[in-house]
Amino acid sequence: MFRLLLTTALAAGLAPAAFAQEITVGAGNVAPFLDPGRDHSNVGSQFYFNSFDTLIDRDHSKLEPEWTPALATSWTLIDPTVMELKLREGVSFHNGEAMTADDVVFSLNRMFQATFPPYVVRSKDRLNNFTSAEKIDNYTVRIHAGREEPLWETLVSLQQIMIIPEEYTKALTGDPKVAEDSDFEAFSLAPVGTGPYSVAEFLPGERIVWERFDDFWGDKAPLQRATVVQIAETASRVTALKTGEADIITNVAPDQLSLIDSDPNLKTEGSVTALFHAMIMNANHPALKDPRIRQAMSYAVDRDTLNEALWLGKAVVPSTHTMKEFGDLYMPELTTFEYNPEKAKDLLKEAGYDGGEIVYTSFPTYYTNGLLAAQAIAEMWSAVGINAKVDVQEKWTGRDPQMMARNWSNPMYFADPFGSFGVMWAPGGPSESEGRFNTDEEYAAKWERFRFSTDVEVRKAAYAELMDEIKQDPPVLPLYRPFESWGMKKSVNWAPMPGHIPYVLDFRAGSISLADS
Amino acid sequence: MTDYLLRVAIKMAVTLFAIVTVTFVATRLSGNPIDTFLGEGLTDEGRDALIAYFQLDRSIWHQYVAYLRGVVSGEFGLSFIERRPVTQVVAARLWPSAQLLLASIGLTAAVSIPLGVLAALYRKSWIGSAVMVVAFSGYAVPNFVLAVVMILTFSYWLNWLPVVGNGTALHFIMPTIAMSGVLIAALTRFTRNAMLDVLGQDFIRTARAKGLPELAVVMRHGLGNAGVTVISVIGLQIASLAAAGSVVVETIFSWPGIGQLLVTAAIMRDYPVLQFGVIAVAVAVVLINAITDVAYALVDPRIRLARS
Repeated sequence: MFRLLLTTALAAGLAPAAFAQEITVGAGNVAPFLDPGRDHSNVGSQFYFNSFDTLIDRDHSKLEPEWTPALATSWTLIDPTVMELKLREGVSFHNGEAMTADDVVFSLNRMFQATFPPYVVRSKDRLNNFTSAEKIDNYTVRIHAGREEPLWETLVSLQQIMIIPEEYTKALTGDPKVAEDSDFEAFSLAPVGTGPYSVAEFLPGERIVWERFDDFWGDKAPLQRATVVQIAETASRVTALKTGEADIITNVAPDQLSLIDSDPNLKTEGSVTALFHAMIMNANHPALKDPRIRQAMSYAVDRDTLNEALWLGKAVVPSTHTMKEFGDLYMPELTTFEYNPEKAKDLLKEAGYDGGEIVYTSFPTYYTNGLLAAQAIAEMWSAVGINAKVDVQEKWTGRDPQMMARNWSNPMYFADPFGSFGVMWAPGGPSESEGRFNTDEEYAAKWERFRFSTDVEVRKAAYAELMDEIKQDPPVLPLYRPFESWGMKKSVNWAPMPGHIPYVLDFRAGSISLADS
Repeated sequence: MTDYLLRVAIKMAVTLFAIVTVTFVATRLSGNPIDTFLGEGLTDEGRDALIAYFQLDRSIWHQYVAYLRGVVSGEFGLSFIERRPVTQVVAARLWPSAQLLLASIGLTAAVSIPLGVLAALYRKSWIGSAVMVVAFSGYAVPNFVLAVVMILTFSYWLNWLPVVGNGTALHFIMPTIAMSGVLIAALTRFTRNAMLDVLGQDFIRTARAKGLPELAVVMRHGLGNAGVTVISVIGLQIASLAAAGSVVVETIFSWPGIGQLLVTAAIMRDYPVLQFGVIAVAVAVVLINAITDVAYALVDPRIRLARS
């Protein structure tokens, strides 16, 4: 009887939800703040696409970039360093304000001419070539670049320059006419955009509630309401899906897939994620200074076995730092990384490896299978004669001069090698700044050609040369592109779209539907 | 009694000052926040900008003085990570934790006091042994095992109970039981022992001799006197649970409580949250201890009189 009552109560609570086009997502993590400008985390990237728009967008159902109008209806290069964009008229922000060129210029310049330190960081690592945005009239803006830019559309469609309202943001704290740091801090707790869902409620690290925005300029949102709840524990997420507390759950570990798939009411969807789990090596650690030692550490790792054992063979092991998403710049023909234990042994011998301990640091909750991979890699090292040890640390040690090797990830922040390899391994970039990777003038010159040439073939040739430098003096070994899975009710038609950066929860028109409707 | 209350208040104030300072020092010793919450993959320029922005470039004394000033004026600053006042961050999480704690204490008292009395009265029969077996198994099963077994049974297989959050009364059932398992074991044992001690005393024999019904002997004279021990154990248990005991249960049931918040803040070195959170919990614990002290005095006139 108790069971009957409960099931009835639960059914009564859930059935209207399904018919009213509402869903609940159980997410492994909910972001601590929501500001597309300052954020480039894998947690945050889940949440921006539903509520914010870029000027130029792409067809996310396609792997290779196909640019589509968004808040800009057309764009032309009026000079190699100046792009003029015509803005869409009749666009409203979630707070009712109309979007004009002022909002666009404000949003772009908050990054191009950043003074708020969290924006400065993102501006420097990917938007450095843009100097300013300028209003021409109410619906026309120009973006100025410092030098000729081969990646105009790619960079103008970045999450970091999604459009936010000027007046609303400036008025959040202090002087309503001035953009203060505190305004941007406040914005990240009360975000307003132009996308098909407004953020109706946001509890950092706990819950986000999206509601359909009826004045959205494009196709109306298919859901009336979507609630994302943080359920940190994997077993609890899977159970929540079973009990009906969640309609979709994120971050399903490979060993949980069969549990969900075996339930007649549930299914899983997944895709190879546009990021690499990587092993990094400290080129400046005294024991690893000889590149042959690091080459050996790299050759010793059997990534296909890791893939089979940890990802049921569903991950993708790359031959070089490249992804299909890069379009013309996808270069699978390069062989930068390979498994060759014999060569590893020879290299160790040649380098006169003295049997000193080489430590692989791993952070247990960093990402799925990180620690297991670390343990397996240590075994693989031992097999070629490296005195290997795994050390578990709950912090980022990439800047620690004592760090020898550790796990990291290189996400694709945008669909170009610059957006993946480039952000992390540029001259003077994060890896070099952290003191575990060195570049010289030759590397910088190759980088320049790769980054700024407008001739695709020149860019490809330069990238191949950069990869050769990485091969000769390796600071990194991309292990694989992990296979990321989501569990959901069979009545939910949703799957990750191939044209997004990793982890985006895209609930826009055409991306999700509920069978009950 | 006024003297006694004053004494309790002074003890509280000294304890709190010590906690405020120890918290500051301990958070600084626990590692550099620059390597945790600022995240990975920063250029030198970006890193320096963020360090200055979060005022992590100031000397330790400057930070300590600013922190003390904040404590006194009630300005505890913004969370490094959530970017809102830490008072808000912590306050939002205190009540759910307190609710869970109260529910657990209620359940524990309701179950273990009768069980303890029963075990004492029937200590030589199978009833007493059975109660103690149950109590000891409570010790043996960690709360996360109990939680997972309950989730598997009542949610995964039977689909009777929800697993996420604190939305309804049903949400309380499993987390409360998971939190109470060890507590029930402890309190049952303490109640039994305290009752055994008291029941062997002369005044109990006198009570029986003057012809009081057995129920009155046990409840008024027995439990009434064993109460001091029971209260002190409950006080201690609340303190330990409030400090950290709920972390695992909160994480498993996605309970938006303070345990989970503090652990994340500790891992990420979110100093402002960690400092204020520890102080908030410390104040709660100190208050609970003070209440326990006062409750002692109320229950047992000897303590009241001896201390004044």
